[in-house]
Amino acid sequence: MDERAIAALRGIYGERLKTSLEDRICYSYDATGQEFLPDGVSFPVSADEIRRTVLLANEHRFPVVPRGAGTGFSGGSLPVRGGVVLSTERMDRILSIDTENLVAVVEPGVVTETLKEEVKKKGLFYPPDPASLKFCTIGGNLAECAGGMCAVKYGVTRDYVLGLEAVLGTGEFVRTGVYTVKGVVGYDLTRMLVGSEGTLGIITKATLRLIPHPESAATLLAFFRAGEEAARAVAGIVEARIIPCAMELMDRTAIECVRAIADLSVPEGTGCALLIEVDGPAESVSREADRVEAACSRFGATEVRRAADAEGREKLWALRRSISPAIRQVNPVKINEDIVVPRSRLPEMYAFLSELAARKGLRIVNFGHAGDGNIHVNIMISGRDEDERRRAEGAVEEIFRKTVDLGGTISGEHGVGIAKAPFLEMEVGPLGVSVMKRLKACFDPNNILNPGKIFLSEPAVRP
Amino acid sequence: MKDKELSDLTGACVKCGTCRTVCTLYPERKAEISVARGKIALLDAARKGRDDDLDAVQEALSDCLLCGRCERACPNQVLVEEIIMKGRADIADRIGISAWKQVLFGRVMPSPGKRDAARAAAAAAQKLLAKKIPTGSGLHYRFPDKYGLSGRTLPELPGKGFIASLGPDEARNGEAMLFVGCVFDHVFPQVGRAAYKSMKASGMEVAVFRDAACCGLPAMVSGDRTSALRCVEENVRRLRAAEPRRIVFPCGSCLLMFKRNLFSLIPEGHPLHAEAVWVSGRCEDYAGFILASGVVSRLPDPPEDEAAGEIGYHDPCHLSGTLGKGSEAREVLRRTVGRSFAEMEGADLCCGYGGTFNIRDYSTSARIGENKVSLAAKGGTAVIATACSGCILQMRDMAARTDPALRVVHIAELVFRALSRR
Ligand SMILES: Cc1cc2nc3c(=O)[nH]c(=O)nc-3n(C[C@H](O)[C@H](O)[C@H](O)COP(=O)(O)OP(=O)(O)OC[C@H]3O[C@@H](n4cnc5c(N)ncnc54)[C@H](O)[C@@H]3O)c2cc1C
Ligand code: SF4
Ligand code: SF4
Repeated sequence: MDERAIAALRGIYGERLKTSLEDRICYSYDATGQEFLPDGVSFPVSADEIRRTVLLANEHRFPVVPRGAGTGFSGGSLPVRGGVVLSTERMDRILSIDTENLVAVVEPGVVTETLKEEVKKKGLFYPPDPASLKFCTIGGNLAECAGGMCAVKYGVTRDYVLGLEAVLGTGEFVRTGVYTVKGVVGYDLTRMLVGSEGTLGIITKATLRLIPHPESAATLLAFFRAGEEAARAVAGIVEARIIPCAMELMDRTAIECVRAIADLSVPEGTGCALLIEVDGPAESVSREADRVEAACSRFGATEVRRAADAEGREKLWALRRSISPAIRQVNPVKINEDIVVPRSRLPEMYAFLSELAARKGLRIVNFGHAGDGNIHVNIMISGRDEDERRRAEGAVEEIFRKTVDLGGTISGEHGVGIAKAPFLEMEVGPLGVSVMKRLKACFDPNNILNPGKIFLSEPAVRP
Repeated sequence: MKDKELSDLTGACVKCGTCRTVCTLYPERKAEISVARGKIALLDAARKGRDDDLDAVQEALSDCLLCGRCERACPNQVLVEEIIMKGRADIADRIGISAWKQVLFGRVMPSPGKRDAARAAAAAAQKLLAKKIPTGSGLHYRFPDKYGLSGRTLPELPGKGFIASLGPDEARNGEAMLFVGCVFDHVFPQVGRAAYKSMKASGMEVAVFRDAACCGLPAMVSGDRTSALRCVEENVRRLRAAEPRRIVFPCGSCLLMFKRNLFSLIPEGHPLHAEAVWVSGRCEDYAGFILASGVVSRLPDPPEDEAAGEIGYHDPCHLSGTLGKGSEAREVLRRTVGRSFAEMEGADLCCGYGGTFNIRDYSTSARIGENKVSLAAKGGTAVIATACSGCILQMRDMAARTDPALRVVHIAELVFRALSRR
């Protein structure tokens, strides 16, 4: 970025524009662990500042990379082409919680858990619950269409967005969507922006749908000997017409990693565990929990533990949330994929993954939201062995191909970013890519917003 | 920099961002540079030569309370406190540390005699410079904004420290040894005395460790490893020679130094390592001693008429957090004051002191601290009891600023008072 652009930005932000190397280093990474240095970091406090920033970017031709909490797993917030990182963390107000229409209006920097807690105080429920909910932002959730444990029953971020306000790549300010349950006027621009990874527009405000908070919940932890058994139990539970609000699978290595950092007694010979939660009115919860327990036993569970009070449930959930960071302790580098296959194909996918790990001589850890067919496949490598890295990369490609063959998708919730850009075409085909690129050009003709993401061979900011 | 040691420690961070949720400083700064993840990235950049402005990196590292909340929340058990202290020290080795810290940590703190003289000088200066203000915790002095003291209040410094006021033959020998700590010796001698007297109620002989050097924590957190090492070496040698059965700490921060930081300064292979292990193994917190030595069973029943729930306990970060000793003090309080004790609002929030952080950025330190004490006061707490010298200094200052009726005491003072009712 040239001096004049920086000076002009300073005019908008004053002290809230940071250009020291130290500040830039602190906005060069996300949870992928990769680093790209931005030229500056700005902390807007209003939509208008964002609008003016994007106008300036068009004038001076520098990239603008929106960033929430930098917890992405696909490199979405990394400034791969430099430019300014626009951090929304200071736009963190909940503007309203409307208990009559069950709607919340928030700024993008609100931390997901904060919103969940605030609406809960009013007896309401904002369901999306990515494992990172304590620190990720609503803006980041919207831009990645984050999912979570409860997606199996309640859906994902997309299902709770009614309307958005955003600054497009042109610097134009748009309002999309509605404040109502229904709305079909024109194209659905709201859903266009959701999951667009900051490449089409910068979300400055969101109108979110809430639902009544479920009365109670019970959590079960079931241990199985093998992954395929647990996968069959997942399908079996759904077939028995129970939709748990979460059904999380952890394989042997995932359990071992967690045990290394937490107190967890595990029955001898455990190869897999399922964490299941049912919610609803108190009477039906205990009945459903009984049925889940019975179904698990039928599919070979060696032990089922149950917690119905908040504290016990939180303990079980803390285990699940700690997997993702904990597995990195086993191996410093993990290649983390989040494929989804139709639930009925899960046993097939698990069988394929064990076969692949053995064939390629790799350590693969699987866990995730099995209830909706989403598996977090983590290939663990030392990071120092070139041959091992090549084998891992080959394995990723095979996993993606198998996923697409089984009718699945290569990313359920983490997004494309830079991590999955090479495989975009494998799933959506050349025509799909072409239509997407045309849409991108329409929202952001000069390729200002988050350049270098989603599409592989894409020019830098247009001169 | 000591590349390997640091990179082993920082390499464990996966940049997940969990530490953002708990950082005491993050709500104040609202920027990554204040949280562990950012500081770790900066240290790595400095280590690899990608950032050679070591002054700027040191500045960023100094902006931290070392409250350890990030470390306890980190799902990867990244040793953030250790990383930050090591980072500060490694950079200080290259760019030096400020002159006043060199004199204070290198000359004054290790020597009991010089500390006595310094306190006397400070007590005189206080009377000249500062204005008297009465508070619930006794007479305090408010310093004017000039002299770089930014309107702080400090307790009236006593003419004599606790150790200096002991009789020549008093507290010379005993199986339990009291490590009183600089602040409870020189600034709040009544705490030192209360700790000593209440320990004696166990029936055990209690010795006071008279020729203690400073525990070394202030030097350590400032990156002054040389002075910190001098302090701990002196202490380890003298304590080993005194051969106490147990060493008791009324101050959680001093205890942290002996339980944990000691081994970063005197690691395996250091000639004093075996002695350090011996000493560290005998160190314990005051509340733990009071419970285990039977003092609690000698306490009279708490009076019925005291206001229920007016006494709260503040969790010192180092003691309750890092060392995991939060329940002992609560148990002591329950046995000492009965139903007057109740959990207070925000008990485990950091008080904002952070040792040198309070000197470096008093206004931020004060905002965090004021928030802490007013939360407690609003919840109905009239007396905040705790067990760390830094927290008491800070919270008394904060009470003087926001609510002078609010009292801040050491649990030993309550125990001692209850014992004297017997
Ligand atoms: C431990 C851990 C567990 C996780 N678990 C889950 C999980 O269970 N489910 C899941 O889905 N994800 C999970 N994630 C991934 C991550 O938390 C989510 O992708 C989250 O939505 C990112 O939010 P963020 O605020 O950190 O956004 P960032 O990472 O900062 O940004 C993500 C993307 O959003 C864009 N963006 C941010 N704000 C805006 C805005 N206002 N307007 C437009 N674009 C914007 C950025 O440009 C980027 O492309 C996990 C991450 C971690 C570290
Ligand atoms: S919580 Fe731990 S691993 Fe995660 S970013 Fe912070 S220090 Fe690193
Ligand atoms: S020690 Fe405390 S202030 Fe320092 S980074 Fe960790 S949480 Fe923040």
